[in-house]
Amino acid sequence: MSTEQITTKQINTKHISVKRYLPDSSAEPYWQAYDLPVDDSTSLLDALNHIKEELDSTLSYRWSCRMAICGSCGVMVNGIPKLGCKTFLRDYEGDIRIEPLAHFPVQRDLVVDMEIFLEHLAAVKPYLIDDNPVKAFDPNAPETYRQTPEQLERYKQFANCINCGLCYSACPQFGLNQEFLGPAALTLAHRYNLDSRDHGKKQRMAELNRHEGVWSCTFVGFCSKVCPKHVDPAAAVNQGKVEAAKHTLIALFKG
Amino acid sequence: MSISKHGAQHKQAFDEPLWWGLFSAGGVCFAVLLPAVILFIAVLLPLGLLPAEALSYERASALLFSVPGFLFIGAVVCLPLFHAAHRLRHGLFDISVGNDATNKKLMYGGAALLSLLALGLVLAGMLG
Repeated sequence: MSTEQITTKQINTKHISVKRYLPDSSAEPYWQAYDLPVDDSTSLLDALNHIKEELDSTLSYRWSCRMAICGSCGVMVNGIPKLGCKTFLRDYEGDIRIEPLAHFPVQRDLVVDMEIFLEHLAAVKPYLIDDNPVKAFDPNAPETYRQTPEQLERYKQFANCINCGLCYSACPQFGLNQEFLGPAALTLAHRYNLDSRDHGKKQRMAELNRHEGVWSCTFVGFCSKVCPKHVDPAAAVNQGKVEAAKHTLIALFKG
Repeated sequence: MSISKHGAQHKQAFDEPLWWGLFSAGGVCFAVLLPAVILFIAVLLPLGLLPAEALSYERASALLFSVPGFLFIGAVVCLPLFHAAHRLRHGLFDISVGNDATNKKLMYGGAALLSLLALGLVLAGMLG
């Protein structure tokens, strides 16, 4: 449906199947179907809220901002990782199957445990590491944090990550090996490595240049397809491979 | 235990840049050189569309058993072999066949052996 035809006047009924998992009452997950009224402006998150408020208060899911910036409402929609708030039911015909994000342990219904993702994020030190003894607030060092637009442009695209975890659900390598640092963590590492204010590249390269670092990536590219912020993690990870190769060469010659 | 686990986790993959470099170089050769080689040797030549003496035995051996011939074999046989070995290794991991450490030895070892054989034959021809 093209955007000019979108209307909130016409209300249809859509069929949504949600994969339920309630460990208190049943050890096995099961599918539950809901019929709900939708118009062209109904997002998947609106639909889940409608189910929670009107149809079934036992449904659990995460959400917060409703505008694709908090990264909480990631779910699988017909097997593709999507943000609930950025997915509109008008784009789907027939049965819509909602599952928790793939490759993460499920805690309850659509709520997954993202601990391993957060561990991988922390491992690459995704923050400015500044070894300059003169700090930014010191009047002697006013230019420490100055950055030209060109320097900003180098990493800007990779800085848009909202940590929603969709790329981890999309990544077959993370599905096979949970120790793989994964798209978002490797992208953030690359983002800080490219930042002119940062001096932590050496510490991060030790993480990136492991089998579970950049080298587990096989450039499937699905991470970049599902990324709701167009960060292009696949490009970042493969640029990271070049950096890791350079790092290894330099380490080889330095002994 | 936590210290040794930490140490193992930070083990650097010093070999991976080499495999990835060979894979990348092989990919370029695969894409750029092999179609032309197949066109000339496997299509145009058997169809008789090339002059008969273009790759006569004498001319072909003179071309092959030389330094450019050695480089040619490196680019159209050895590097693509490593490219294929890398893909096979990761493909086997993807379908959960074998274990990666063994697959690595088999795949890259196989590519290295076949490369040595190919380059060895050229060298033998150059010397003999």
